[in-house]
Amino acid sequence: MSAPEPIHALAFAPRGSLGAAPAAPLRVSFPARDIVQVMLRRGQDAAFAEAMRGAFGMEPPAPGHTATGQDATAIWIQPGQWLLTAPRGVEGALAARATAAFTGFAAVADQSHGRTTILLSGAAAREALSRGCRLDLHPRAFGPGRAASTPIAQIGCLLHQTDATPSFELTVFSTLAEPFLHWLIEATAPLGVDIA
Amino acid sequence: MLRIPCPHCGARDEVEFTYRGDATVTRPAPDAGVDAFHDYLYLRRNPRGWQVEWWQHNGGCRAFLKVLRHTVTHEVRGVATATETLEVPEA
Repeated sequence: MSAPEPIHALAFAPRGSLGAAPAAPLRVSFPARDIVQVMLRRGQDAAFAEAMRGAFGMEPPAPGHTATGQDATAIWIQPGQWLLTAPRGVEGALAARATAAFTGFAAVADQSHGRTTILLSGAAAREALSRGCRLDLHPRAFGPGRAASTPIAQIGCLLHQTDATPSFELTVFSTLAEPFLHWLIEATAPLGVDIA
Repeated sequence: MLRIPCPHCGARDEVEFTYRGDATVTRPAPDAGVDAFHDYLYLRRNPRGWQVEWWQHNGGCRAFLKVLRHTVTHEVRGVATATETLEVPEA
């Protein structure tokens, strides 16, 4: 038995191009993700790290960082807690894998429906984000493999830089994905944006 | 605007934090009596100078932090996690 595939929080968002189109316009897309929150139990750091290496092929990332394994990415969100993300697969499969790997060391909660990821990519991505984000995203202070939780345009957001284009994955609560996208369109349209 | 150097996230703006009061008050023993609990609940020093305060970083790592702040100049001189202690300077 399998549950019907849920409707993506931004399935009905407007698509197309907005604003002036410079040489390298910004691109906004809505990658479907499986998202699992992992909460470490006290004193189980070593056992948890071992389980993470065995099941996902990576070390638990340090504060403010991410780690990428064979088929999943771990993002540090707060002391003793990480988000595991992977491209959308079978409903609940990533959570089941994490539960099997971490039972006894960490609690696992499936957040695939609770959080929505928006990918912002393009040379002007930092300029667009600076209209609502208080963090210094300059390469000397931030870069690929870094992550930060911070309010962007008053909405709590997990910001995660994936490459030096730069590309940022913005993960917000699904109920706030639409208002967040409205702000993001306002911030990116003057620079030229393709929404796909 | 305060800038608070979170030990987990780095320096962040005050808007990411919520002020949670004096961090030096300690809960009395269960049998300490009504007067001790009255003082614990209601009486605060309200110093003109250095104070150790709770600030929760609810816009970032969500941790409760102890912050040593000067109540007149707003200078932040030290930040620690909840289980650490901060010494209050004399002056």
